[in-house]
Amino acid sequence: MTTTDDTKTEYAPETGPRLRWAQLAPDVYKAMIRLDAAARQGLDPTLCELVKIRASQINHCAFCLDMHTKDALAAGERVERIMQLSAWDESRHFYTERELAALELTEAVTVLTDGFVPDEVYEKAAQHFEEAELAQLISAIAVINAWNRFGVTARMTPGHYQAGQHK
Amino acid sequence: MTVRTRLLDPAVAQAMSALSGAAKKGLGDPALAELVMIRASQLNHCAFCLDMHLTLAREHGVSERQLGLLAAWEEAGDVFDERERAALALTEAVTVLTDGFVPDEVYEKAAEHFDEVRLAHLVALITAINNWNRVMVGRRIPPGGESCYRFSSHS
Repeated sequence: MTTTDDTKTEYAPETGPRLRWAQLAPDVYKAMIRLDAAARQGLDPTLCELVKIRASQINHCAFCLDMHTKDALAAGERVERIMQLSAWDESRHFYTERELAALELTEAVTVLTDGFVPDEVYEKAAQHFEEAELAQLISAIAVINAWNRFGVTARMTPGHYQAGQHK
Repeated sequence: MTVRTRLLDPAVAQAMSALSGAAKKGLGDPALAELVMIRASQLNHCAFCLDMHLTLAREHGVSERQLGLLAAWEEAGDVFDERERAALALTEAVTVLTDGFVPDEVYEKAAEHFDEVRLAHLVALITAINNWNRVMVGRRIPPGGESCYRFSSHS
């Protein structure tokens, strides 16, 4: 059976957030906004969205995935580059060497619990990014990890974000 | 083992300090804050952050027994009280997101011991230390050194 009428499909009920952290801790939210803006300075926005989507996939943050896939599409990113991102290592020809180095670094810095950031991953990134830019990339990876933690812990509801809303 | 880069954009460092400061202030329990930050730094293997927060924890009167048993807090009997245990369980869940989500029972146990405002700040503190862990491990900043003093002034 196929149907294109979305109104007739019964989806599971939507749940609200469990913690309205931004309202409960406005100083924290303000610092996060400042941190996000600071960490983005000097980085290529196209690359940033790929990094944010990949980290959000690894951390299972539905809210951040909703936001950053929509922002990436609105900025002209190709659908297939977004769809292949969770298997980027097997679809390398969709990405530049620079993007691949950044994605590998994103995974290493995101999954610290498995142990450290390997030298070969760092060095490959250092071949494609000069020192200040690389330091900034590490900050940007840390910051999307921070948003992911708020999104998942507060169980923020995905689906209502509109591209550009938080730019 | 050498430092990879000491560069960290000053605006990023300031915003990270503001985030940590706001979180600690809102939680209002400096000793518990240190336990949380040490546990996250253990999970993320951040030597710099461990060194710094072990020092600060002692300054805030956290016992050697608690510091020694922190990595095995679940098995440590009454060395940690119920409130500390709820905060540590939440710390682990929020730090290890890659294993999947923050379980309802962990969240609800924390919500029994912390009102909403304190809980929001506790989550922020766990997030903030995770952020520091990533920035320090990624750049391979060794324990101690001059930057230790710079950041510890925000405790």
